[in-house]
Amino acid sequence: MRARISPATAVLGAIAAGIALLWSTPFLWMLVASFRADAYGALDLASLVPGWPPSLENFRAAWEGGDFPLYYTNTLIVVAGTLGVQLITISLAGYAFARLEFPGRETLFYLFLLQLMIVPPVLIVPNLKMVISLGINDSLLGVMAPYFASAFGTFLMRQTFKSLPRDFEDAAVIDGASLIQVLRYVLLPLARPALAAFAIVSVVAHWNEFLWPLIVINSPTRRTLTLGLASVVGGAEGAADWGLIASATLIVSAPLLVAFVLFERRIVNSFVFSGIK
Amino acid sequence: MGFRSNLRATGVALSLLLASGGFAVAKTTIDFYFPVPVQGALSREMSRLVKTFNDSHPDIEVVAAYTGSYDDTRLKAQAAFDSGKPPAVALVSANNVPDFVIGGEIEPIDALLSAHGQDPKTFLDDFWPALHANAKADGKLYAIPYQNSTPLLYINAQAFKDAGLDPDHPPATWAEFVAAAQKLTKRDGDKVVRYGFEMPGIYDYLGWLTQTFAMSNGGQFFNPYNPGEVYYDQPSTRGAVQFIRDLVFKYKVMPEGVVDPSQVSTDFFAGRAAMVMLSTGSLTFIRNGAKFPYQVAFIPRNQRNAAPIGGGSMVIFKKLTPEQREAAWTFVSYMTSSATLGDWSRVTGYFAPRKSSYDLPEMKAFIDQHPDALIALKQLEYGQPWLATYNVVAVRKAIEDEVQAVLSGKKQPAEAVRDAQKNADEIMKPYQEKLVQLGSL
Amino acid sequence: MGVTADIIAPRASRAPAAHAGERRLRFLKPWALLAPALICLGLFTYWPVASVLVDSLFARRLGDKTAAFVGLGNYIRLLADAKFAAAALNNLLYAMGSVIPSIVLALIFALLLKQSSAFNRAIRAMLFFPTMVPLIAAAALWTFLFLPTLGLIDYYLGRLLPISINWLGDPDSALWAITLVTVWKNAGYYMLFYLAALQSMPEELIEAAILDGAGPWQRFRHVILPLLGPTTVFVGVIAFAQAITTVDHVIVMTHGGPNDATTLLLYYIFQTATEVHDPGKAAAATVITLVVLSAVSTFGIRSLDRRGLYAS
Repeated sequence: MRARISPATAVLGAIAAGIALLWSTPFLWMLVASFRADAYGALDLASLVPGWPPSLENFRAAWEGGDFPLYYTNTLIVVAGTLGVQLITISLAGYAFARLEFPGRETLFYLFLLQLMIVPPVLIVPNLKMVISLGINDSLLGVMAPYFASAFGTFLMRQTFKSLPRDFEDAAVIDGASLIQVLRYVLLPLARPALAAFAIVSVVAHWNEFLWPLIVINSPTRRTLTLGLASVVGGAEGAADWGLIASATLIVSAPLLVAFVLFERRIVNSFVFSGIK
Repeated sequence: MGFRSNLRATGVALSLLLASGGFAVAKTTIDFYFPVPVQGALSREMSRLVKTFNDSHPDIEVVAAYTGSYDDTRLKAQAAFDSGKPPAVALVSANNVPDFVIGGEIEPIDALLSAHGQDPKTFLDDFWPALHANAKADGKLYAIPYQNSTPLLYINAQAFKDAGLDPDHPPATWAEFVAAAQKLTKRDGDKVVRYGFEMPGIYDYLGWLTQTFAMSNGGQFFNPYNPGEVYYDQPSTRGAVQFIRDLVFKYKVMPEGVVDPSQVSTDFFAGRAAMVMLSTGSLTFIRNGAKFPYQVAFIPRNQRNAAPIGGGSMVIFKKLTPEQREAAWTFVSYMTSSATLGDWSRVTGYFAPRKSSYDLPEMKAFIDQHPDALIALKQLEYGQPWLATYNVVAVRKAIEDEVQAVLSGKKQPAEAVRDAQKNADEIMKPYQEKLVQLGSL
Repeated sequence: MGVTADIIAPRASRAPAAHAGERRLRFLKPWALLAPALICLGLFTYWPVASVLVDSLFARRLGDKTAAFVGLGNYIRLLADAKFAAAALNNLLYAMGSVIPSIVLALIFALLLKQSSAFNRAIRAMLFFPTMVPLIAAAALWTFLFLPTLGLIDYYLGRLLPISINWLGDPDSALWAITLVTVWKNAGYYMLFYLAALQSMPEELIEAAILDGAGPWQRFRHVILPLLGPTTVFVGVIAFAQAITTVDHVIVMTHGGPNDATTLLLYYIFQTATEVHDPGKAAAATVITLVVLSAVSTFGIRSLDRRGLYAS
């Protein structure tokens, strides 16, 4: 709409921009502080005015303090692996709940949904024991395993499948398609927005996870980004190198932020069309 | 030289090659959990030490795992032990020994010493006396100290001069300390521009510092021979907590509330705190970061000089195979040798627990270059055992919660120490009951 | 044979001989499909819940070789523990303090930024950024922000008023500081849900309201808000669950202090299990937490059901 902007809209826009700026203050500080050199004793640590000239010293220290390429790789493995298995379990289970009749279906569905709330961190001690007895302690698989079944995903798939007309499936079955083929060529393509929305929720959740990986992982070589950040920032007894902390945080947060900016429209759209409302 | 002799020579050469290790020797693999905070230099040094060991001991492979904080390390080691797969060796907080012993999780070192021709009775002689009590339980040796610290007073020499004080004669008594702090505290109207004194008030640190004050005030803090007894509700502790309170509310030289160690060091660097109490372990950080002349000093005394030790010790777990236990012992012996302890001390800023480490030339040179490290070392003469009881974390928090309340102006010292004692006794009750059952009270 | 056969003789009337086998297959299929999910849930949700229930009936202290059966003993000790009551109260305050503002802000943001102009999309992105970063990264940044006097908040606040608040170190403010971090982190996320709802709202209803002469406020109150009911319930349930199950920031920023002011239920459980070595009591506390969580999720699902959130 290329019409003139009304004063009301302009005011609202200014308010929105103001809120957004205020909201972003921590990130603005993060940007400014990471590039500021030698910030140990400065009284203006908190100043949002950038230091000049900008320095990469903090990034170098942060990069050397940990093995960030390794942490990235591990996190990617965890996120992709979890999502991969989740897509399988939620499609199968979602289909079963949506299309098949069997005794105890409603009760079982409610039981499934309990997992929405009863997340692994709440059951941390027995889950840790389970992971140790299965022999997957201190491994990326141990980090992923409790999340392979996703109640949220199952719920979403059930709802999505239910809302799809049966005609396509029925036609495919008549053509002699097996269940797997029906899912793969008919239903899942139609459920793409919901799958995308789920993928976003899953990736963000597992990219950012901290407590469970902290408990499971010991080896420095298996650390994820969050654990890596904690160890770089952890510091000695009382150390407070804020420039280092800011730059390490930037290193960890940047990819997701950039990805979001690039794919923002798709992300929001997938939420809209997925029927989560 | 004919064809045949060439062939024979080749055959000899080949068999020599095969014999010399072309194939792997059978290895014992053991896990080592360590909580050393990972700033680049420290983790690299630890990796280097472990690698040097592995290279020089082809039949052992130590797999070192960084397991977070001391608390995380304890948690993971115990979870692993509960599931039947404990690490062979762990570097644990020096005051966790009673908990591990009561839980039946670690091996007495005495037997290992005897089996390797060392005398358990004289083994600890080379270690600083202050470290002995925390290494033992039930009269037996269970842990070997690896890295240690004490609290230390750091002062801003420039600020001292500006206030008309002599930085070469830092306050030695509580009275001098208060006087100096008052002179050093600067105000701009109602707002404090510089505090005379700051100290961390977070969990673990605060308990350590409270113990420091309590012992400087002449009393004991806990019973090193009975991990079910603490002395919170005693005049010496009450006086210490009163002193802490007065620093905030009466003399107004210290900020209110719980102060994070990162804030303490940040304020020190920024000139917003003239004196701070931090671990000797922060010495390297302060040395590298302070842009003004600074000094270190003993903790001021009221009745006596006293400073509890802190730090970590090596322990060996039960449930190991004989080969693993042997390998664990070899590794621990290597890590706690005078030379290795000296190396580690210079890199981290912790004390080397062995006196003999300080006889080595590298250490002598280091101390010569760093007189502040010498002062820190000298205070070790007044070192005291660290609070170590049954369920030590909860018992420690019992007093910490109360002192935090005092720091925030929510409680008076008398009530605080009374509640702390009550809660601590409640926590240690199961252990006390067991002592009664065993008839050892 | 194949297609023709099915059209002439639809499945239901196939030869009886095939029936039994088919019925068996039809019965088997749901379980086969559900098996992968069920196995994972069984291992990591149901078994742990059962294990925790059992553990809550036994007491084992440091040094005990075996656990002793104490029936409801752990629960009695738990309910008598002032720290548990404090943790429960803290969590309730924290939940109220984070859920309500997050939802309100999310709704306001969504209404403000409903149109998908380039400007709005940029603003939306900035509001969503906090959700994208790990909570512990946020905690590291906010620790600096909350630093007394030198930290960002006190630094700028100090220019206006001569005060310096120790946000994280004062028992009175610490919990609200943590709450603020949570609201900041999640409001953008919930905004997405409201955006989706607003954008798929049937235009006709709103147009009808305009034709009836309803002003903006009336349109909002009587048309839009009720239509957003299911979304609000959904977001509310998620937010409440978050408030109970996420303690990363407590772990990193305050360790439950000062003086237990920021100890939340999950953190209390964690401490009781690992620091006080009282697994029975920790298990009892976990059971109570699970009951609360299940109650909330059941309420949420039922109410979504009733409002016809998902097509049936």
